[in-house]
Amino acid sequence: MTTSAPIIRCEHVSVAYGRREVIHDVCLDIPRGILLPFVGPNGAGKTTLLRAILGLLPVRSGQIRTLFGGKPAGYVPQQKAIDPLYPVTTRQIVEMGLYPELGWWRRPQLEQKARVRSVMERFGLSAHQSKTFGELSGGMKQKAMLARALVSGSEVFVLDEPTSELDEDTEREVLSHLVAMARNEGKTVLMAHHGLEQAAALADTVCVVHHGRACLATIEEARDLLGGTSSVGRGAHA
Amino acid sequence: MLESLAHLVAAFPYAIVTGLLVAVICAVFGVFVILKRVVFIGIALAEMAACGIAGALLAGLPPIAGALSLTLAAVAILALPFESRRIPRDAFMGVLFVAASSVSVLLVSRSGLGLHEVKALLYGDLILASPSDVLAIAALLVPALAALLLFLRPMLYAFLDRDAATVLGVKPTRWEMLFFLLLGLVVATASKVAGALLVFCYLVVPATVALLLARRIQTVLALAGAVAAVFTMGGLAVSFAADLPTNQTICTAGCVLAAIAWLIRSAGRT
Repeated sequence: MTTSAPIIRCEHVSVAYGRREVIHDVCLDIPRGILLPFVGPNGAGKTTLLRAILGLLPVRSGQIRTLFGGKPAGYVPQQKAIDPLYPVTTRQIVEMGLYPELGWWRRPQLEQKARVRSVMERFGLSAHQSKTFGELSGGMKQKAMLARALVSGSEVFVLDEPTSELDEDTEREVLSHLVAMARNEGKTVLMAHHGLEQAAALADTVCVVHHGRACLATIEEARDLLGGTSSVGRGAHA
Repeated sequence: MLESLAHLVAAFPYAIVTGLLVAVICAVFGVFVILKRVVFIGIALAEMAACGIAGALLAGLPPIAGALSLTLAAVAILALPFESRRIPRDAFMGVLFVAASSVSVLLVSRSGLGLHEVKALLYGDLILASPSDVLAIAALLVPALAALLLFLRPMLYAFLDRDAATVLGVKPTRWEMLFFLLLGLVVATASKVAGALLVFCYLVVPATVALLLARRIQTVLALAGAVAAVFTMGGLAVSFAADLPTNQTICTAGCVLAAIAWLIRSAGRT
């Protein structure tokens, strides 16, 4: 596990839906530049914790420090987040990532257009740029949302079950992009993931979320934790 | 047909100007009404406007004041996020629609007006548009359209993917609230002149045609406005030539266009 300074620090974080507390007193240091799968059973609180890190859910108590400068995180939601009815082309979806730079009125400059073009080429989206989101295959939809996140120039990417609706080949391709982003470009990639064994092929360290608690753990430690034992893994701090 | 159109322009210039403005502006707003899947809001707000007009009549206030106050009050509630509530937005709009429809009739039954006057006041008739109607439409609806087009990017992003937009720094609640307020303003003002049915038609039919035929949001918005203008002029001309009720003729013309668009789209797929 990398020992670099944390890029995200959760300090005694609790998150609740109404009166029901879903995340309890989580302390977590997430290191910079790793791919970190969040693993755990359904309903354990993986998505809730990631949404709290993104600022989409308020924390009931504690604090989440995001130490990646002024840029927003790159968020890749599940495909169903975008209604296929919208007459918005793939290129327009990717250009949405420029919003922090453009705001509501500026037009994209040459450099920004070139960045969009380059990211679309990287994900094989150039040939599909005029298609609407509804016309794309599942894999292409996932890549379009990933490209949107990458265009924003983020340091941290948060993905919610990015491979849940993909076939095996496409899943492998999308995951290879995520691994490359972490290993080659030093990006921090956090993703909710169902399977621990699949996660083991991607990373040495995972974030185990179970019964509303979370900690970093090696694959072996994660197997123990998810198998029923309750020791605290690495990465947690007091 | 052309001769009939020329006579129409000479006889009812205000109806044409008002009709075109209401048609185009409602059609552009209608695209987002359909995309946001809140079609019922069109008829619910139009009925709220009618109820406000009825209340204003009884209280001796200007009809537009009644229409605006009740519609904007409804919009303020409907703009709230309903995703996590037990009752969906549609159900709430249904209750508003039933309440507004019945209360408006109860109110005008106490006003001492004749049935024809009541129908014209509550449900509008485009052919009766006056210079003051043109002025009201230009003063309220044109700025509303300008605001929608000016803030198109954040509004679209907020509707398209609320969470991703939030992370990117868009404030979805703010933009949604603005959209619904503008929509309330448009529906209230337009309903006073064109009536509930025609306003609902303009919100739904042109946007449906445009979404069937175009693939980019900018094209869809332009096409919706153009389609609304075409069937408004066609409907007005037929209504004038054949002595048919204006609003209903325009609505029928719009539905015929929608059927043609659907056939074109279906033919394109086979």
